Amino acid sequence: KAIVARLGYSLVYKGVVNSSVLCICCPQQQQQVGLCHLCNGTVQNGTAVSQFCSASAGLIDGRCCLLRKENIRDADYIIGLDLSNCSLSRVEDLQDAFSATTIDLSLNPIVNLDDSLFEGFIQLANLILPANLVCPGGNASWDKVKVKGETHFCEGQKDICNQTGYLSLNCPENSLCVPYGPGFFQCSCVDAFRGYKCLREGEFPIIQVFGPLAGSTVLVSILLWLTQRRKAISV
Amino acid sequence: MSSPCCGFLAQYTHHHLVAFLLTFFSYVLLHASRKTFSNVKVSISAQWTPSVQNASSPAFSPGETWEENNLFADSDGATLFLGVLDTIFLFSYAVGLYMSGVIGDRMNLRYVLSFGLCGSAIVEFVFGTLTEWLQFYNIYLYCGLWVLNGLLQSAVWPCVVAVMGNWFGKSGRGFVFGLWSACASVGNILGAFLASSVLKYGYEYAFLVTSVLQFAGGVVVFFGLLTSPKEVGLCLESETGLRPVEKDADSHRPLMSDEEDEEGSEEVCDGGYYTIRQGDEEPRETPKAIGFCQAFCLPGVLPYSLAYACLKLVNYSFFFWLPFYLSRNFGWKEAQADRLSVWYDVGGIIGGTIQGLISDFMGKRAPVLAVSLLLAMGALVGYSHSPPDQVVNAALLATTGFFIGGPSNMISSAISADLGRQEALRGSQEALATVTGIVDGTGSIGAAAGQYLVSVIESKLGWMFVFYFFIVMTGCSIVFILPLIVTEIRAMWRERRARAQEL
Repeated sequence: KAIVARLGYSLVYKGVVNSSVLCICCPQQQQQVGLCHLCNGTVQNGTAVSQFCSASAGLIDGRCCLLRKENIRDADYIIGLDLSNCSLSRVEDLQDAFSATTIDLSLNPIVNLDDSLFEGFIQLANLILPANLVCPGGNASWDKVKVKGETHFCEGQKDICNQTGYLSLNCPENSLCVPYGPGFFQCSCVDAFRGYKCLREGEFPIIQVFGPLAGSTVLVSILLWLTQRRKAISV
Repeated sequence: MSSPCCGFLAQYTHHHLVAFLLTFFSYVLLHASRKTFSNVKVSISAQWTPSVQNASSPAFSPGETWEENNLFADSDGATLFLGVLDTIFLFSYAVGLYMSGVIGDRMNLRYVLSFGLCGSAIVEFVFGTLTEWLQFYNIYLYCGLWVLNGLLQSAVWPCVVAVMGNWFGKSGRGFVFGLWSACASVGNILGAFLASSVLKYGYEYAFLVTSVLQFAGGVVVFFGLLTSPKEVGLCLESETGLRPVEKDADSHRPLMSDEEDEEGSEEVCDGGYYTIRQGDEEPRETPKAIGFCQAFCLPGVLPYSLAYACLKLVNYSFFFWLPFYLSRNFGWKEAQADRLSVWYDVGGIIGGTIQGLISDFMGKRAPVLAVSLLLAMGALVGYSHSPPDQVVNAALLATTGFFIGGPSNMISSAISADLGRQEALRGSQEALATVTGIVDGTGSIGAAAGQYLVSVIESKLGWMFVFYFFIVMTGCSIVFILPLIVTEIRAMWRERRARAQEL
């Protein structure tokens, strides 16, 4: 719901009122659709997103390319997003497109991009930005960075954990570095470790411990009652 | 009155054995669960605080795994609060002890004991396990639960002592009680092992195991304990004319009065167990019970209480803080530190036994205490400079436990025996329990204040100053019992001169 509200804000910046602003309690599907219909039109033929979409047999919906999933009704993943030429001056939240492989934001009067916008975008391999913007995470986070006229191409996310520049051993004990978007990483627990700060290991064998304990308690209680208290006279 | 049988153990039936074991293990389980709390302090502290990072680096992600819990901003705050919890526990334990003497005299021992064990087990479960499963952390809840825990646990010690007193009369009491008083240390060792084995699954499981074990103990006690021989028609031979001599130094606590009323059963039981009034059929409530303030003003009570406060402070600080100190100072894993802390209790058991034996042979306790406490100060200095080698550390720990745990054990028994022989007290059962409550309660208050001081000193000045604090406290306890040492040494001198003159 917060995402819908924030989309509402970005729409207001554009000066376009969309029906999705009024929809506060929409289900997830509607929110995704909100991003896909952020601006008018659909994915143009010949753009990077449309090429990618036809290559991966995706479903075009507004400005999005969705992964076709027959079994699950409302779990369409956005795998491509084309917001070029949308007159966007600010981009607030793209979280719904976290699974996207290709995102196109070119030809928009965006002043600057918040780096955290792309946190969690682990699949992102192709990012097309207006020329005045820098690739998120810096040029070091991408395999190929090239500027062609009005657009800035960021291609191929580098695995931040493998790089010698960053201390890949930065993660605390019992956790490993895992890439989490351009210039981002997460420390996730290794192996059987789990829980807060990866402190806990393994599963406690409740039955194996408390089964015998309960049994022996009952046995000892019965035994003692028979030998001790049964002969007790109330004094 | 027929004298006890020649065979020392022949007078004991299987009922005696069961009573001994049940009371022994009740207190073992209680201490084990107390030890659990001190052994998981590092894990609890980690659970309550977010991850530590340099100022420049961003916080770790995902937040739920690394940054979410913000009960305390950093581990110093958590450490301080853990000290506060220890203090709160000991204060409420002390208050409960003052009251328990009264309650234990009036109600069925078995019910009170089971209630104390099971109730405390439930509170510990809520404190450690339920709050973690529900992910609900709140400092007021923790404080409230720990106060309740202290009050419930204070019911156990007077009851177990009373039951032991009912079953084991004056003959052989020294040996049996000496053996029995190892229960606290055995409980510490058991708690340390339990906690360290289960800790890797999460500290909440350590609390779960010990509280379930304690609850089971309460159930077993309820179904199996006979609080006195009278319940099965047995009777202890009364030892008329035998005064509690100094050989009773090993008895850990004075015996509380038997609160089962004697309903004209003088044909079966004549004189009963620990009764000073022979053939007296007055109900227990009416003999002149010394009031609280009067008991406090008895000679010897105040200095002993203060000395015990100092010594119990040091003893309990080791008990509560040792694993934390070991893992913080040397960087050892919490489970390793738990296992290592066992050596302190081993030293304490051996020290209590050996020093008790020595003082038995000498017939005097205070000189043994004084020597041991002086050596304890040296041992503390040595331990504070221990190298990070586990074997050396364990050896130093055992030595320190020997010299500190021994006197602690003996001081509480010396107090009971000496105060039990005072003129003003003879003939009044209730005073004994009250005096015990006062001495142990004051000791607990001292220990309580000490816990808070330890955490404050550690966070402001570091561990070395904590050890200086311990040394000062040990010195203070020597100072407090100095009058008694002087009296006893003078008495020894007089005896020697008298014997030399006879020859």
